[in-house]
Amino acid sequence: MAAYIARRMIQGLIVLLAVSMICFVIFRYMGDPVVTMAGRYATFDEREEVRHMLGLDQPIYVQYWRFISNAAHGNFGKSYVSRVPALGLILERFPATFELACTAVIMAFAIGVILGVVVALKPYAMRNRLIMTASLGGISIPTFLMGILLIMVFSVYLGMLPPFGRGDTVQVGAWRTGFLTLSGIKHLILPAATLAMYQLAVLLRLTRAGMREVLTEEYIKTAWAKGLSPMKVIFKHALRNVLIPVVTITGLQFGEVIAFSIVTETIFQWPGMGNLLLTSMYESDRPVVVTYIMMVAVIIITLNIVVDILYALINPKIRYE
Amino acid sequence: MRKSIFIFLSFLLIGAMVATGSALAASSIVVAQDTPPRMMNPHGDDSDAGLQYMANFFDGLLQRTGPGGKLGPALATRWEHPDLLTWKFYLRKGVKFHNGNPFTAADVKFSFERLSNPEVSEFLNTGKSIESINIIDDYTVEIKTKKPIPWFANNMHQVFIMDKESTEARDQGDVMVKPVGTGAYKLEEWVKGSYVRMSANEEYWEGAPSLKKVEVRPIKESSTRFAALVSGQVGIVTGIPVELFDKVKKNPKLEIISRAARRSIFLALGNKPGSPMADIRVRKAMYMAINEDEIIEKIMRGHATPAAQIPDPPTIGYNGDIKRLKYDPEEAKKLLKEAGYEKGFEVTLSGPNDRYVQDAKIAEAVARYLAKVGIKAKLDVKPKSIFFPDVAEGKLEFYLIGWFDGTFDMGRTYFKLAHSRDRDKGYGGLNGAAYGDPAIDKLLESTADIVDPPKRKETLEKLNAMAMTDKIIWIPLHYQEDLYAVNKGRGITFNPRPDRWMVYKEISKK
Repeated sequence: MAAYIARRMIQGLIVLLAVSMICFVIFRYMGDPVVTMAGRYATFDEREEVRHMLGLDQPIYVQYWRFISNAAHGNFGKSYVSRVPALGLILERFPATFELACTAVIMAFAIGVILGVVVALKPYAMRNRLIMTASLGGISIPTFLMGILLIMVFSVYLGMLPPFGRGDTVQVGAWRTGFLTLSGIKHLILPAATLAMYQLAVLLRLTRAGMREVLTEEYIKTAWAKGLSPMKVIFKHALRNVLIPVVTITGLQFGEVIAFSIVTETIFQWPGMGNLLLTSMYESDRPVVVTYIMMVAVIIITLNIVVDILYALINPKIRYE
Repeated sequence: MRKSIFIFLSFLLIGAMVATGSALAASSIVVAQDTPPRMMNPHGDDSDAGLQYMANFFDGLLQRTGPGGKLGPALATRWEHPDLLTWKFYLRKGVKFHNGNPFTAADVKFSFERLSNPEVSEFLNTGKSIESINIIDDYTVEIKTKKPIPWFANNMHQVFIMDKESTEARDQGDVMVKPVGTGAYKLEEWVKGSYVRMSANEEYWEGAPSLKKVEVRPIKESSTRFAALVSGQVGIVTGIPVELFDKVKKNPKLEIISRAARRSIFLALGNKPGSPMADIRVRKAMYMAINEDEIIEKIMRGHATPAAQIPDPPTIGYNGDIKRLKYDPEEAKKLLKEAGYEKGFEVTLSGPNDRYVQDAKIAEAVARYLAKVGIKAKLDVKPKSIFFPDVAEGKLEFYLIGWFDGTFDMGRTYFKLAHSRDRDKGYGGLNGAAYGDPAIDKLLESTADIVDPPKRKETLEKLNAMAMTDKIIWIPLHYQEDLYAVNKGRGITFNPRPDRWMVYKEISKK
């Protein structure tokens, strides 16, 4: 097992290096920060001075080598826009995105799986058919539309929930959390629901399909025949096997949700990493964008490894040499 | 074990509730602005969007107030201009920084010297134009510039004074997030991307401001800003998009405040020899082919006023005699035929798509109008971070851009936009289509030595007329309109500034 993990990690490092190289080359064509940083009224010479200060007058491979060697020491360069270290800027916003993503994933998993099981038991009942149709909506309605609809209904017309921001947050050590205040929790509901909608629908359909297949298996019939309570049959025997693909998808999506919550964060002005990424792209803030993408690669690679390990826990028959 | 966890959690909860218990007091306000501050370093961002935040925490030597943006004393009580290169400022006594340090000439010298450091400043041009700064005594400073700069004092409301001792003592990262100035407000908390909380500086030299607590929430998405206003979460919203104007107007709880903006939007054309636009008749034809009234009506929804030139009325150099050419596509076609371009020609129209109100749509409309007289304009709109470097490189043919100059002096604008690109002298830095005309250059350079205000006004007006009528350097379109909305019934008195800055000492609440 340990050798397996080590091998996976080395593979991960190679992927990281490749990602950074690609990023660097692509974002060279992203726009020139020098003009903004030197100020509107700068002369040509003043712009050259700024270019030299940023190291942008060096050939691309020199710039890339400097970036990699600095990155190995934890220095990812300073944001062109805010002139503070890029990594710090991103990590500052990590709690916001993480809390949003966690809430969304928990919502999607809990509601999706439970509804999936309910719907699988009596697939042709009216109520369950309605739920399946609604899940189609969840998959097809784009995130931004969902977000705007929720804002319109719950904030503008009903005035029940706030439409933007995180509300009052509490700084616990290095982590700024919204879970500890009522205002923080209220602000979390709409964005998490928006983010969760798609996943919820996917997990619902996946669970339903899996359950329907498993419920016809021989060992389930045996369990019913033994006289076990419905709860035990459905949850202990059937669902456990269905959960493998469900957990896989949830794990992969969690990484995606953290990395690409851009749209939701923009609509709800959620001060997370996705929002920062979008703004930085518009401002051609190369250090932040490249650092962000590398960080996302790290997260997704790690999550993949974690999911693989979880397999082994769920199904004792799975072993890695 | 369980009991102690329970006690710990309830302490945490109580602590959290106490922390958030700060209910909004009567003299406090929440504002939703369209742009966030980039940093708390007052020299690091030369855009108005950033400077407005700094204007609350810091003061400059001078400040601009009132509907005309009149330049008046701030940290300097008066100033003199004894000769072409020298500017003498007499400083205000008894002013303290937020950390208690006294304000003296040493802080002024430090702040101005900092402007030349590209690591922390975007005011490189201002910094490098200074030859020397002499401290005559604790409350008198003399600044000498390298070349005569007639508008030097006009800029002093944008250069903020920092505290020498504390800025030198802290590390750069801390300076970027914690402002120590003399301004009317102290920074309470800045959670990036969420809010900026400030509280009144009771010892402010002009008198403590009436609004005691201000919370600014930057919201970039315009529909979310609108939702924040309508749901009553904020008191003032800046930057209402023109499409939402009618909705806001119909809402009885909201009040719209609009002001003619200082920013003018115009098209710049190159004049490379041999290209169609080198011929004045072609330029005139393109001007007359564009139906600006329709653009204002349909695209700007009526929220713009037609412009005949780039500077706005309060700027020195504004010439009221310059009139717009009438919309006349037939005449345009005739002029094109005369110039030998009956079949039209191809040109690329560049522009930003995230900078000005309806910028991409205006460019599309212009392309359509030109197509009607036979000119095929290929559209190339892109984000401002890619567009403005293109402008700086001077490789564009024909583009849309907007401008307003905080110094209220047309000369400075023209040196950047109209003068032919000259690397050594540093002129024409934003002359994106590499326009060049020796007569304009000569007249413009002669204004650099003119300090006498009436003579300066006369020469600049003459230059303006030459640029717009004889040479048609640019095709002017319109002046934008600044739109704000206020939640009625909270007793907010708000008179927007001409430069769109939100300076909270100027806003009051009953």
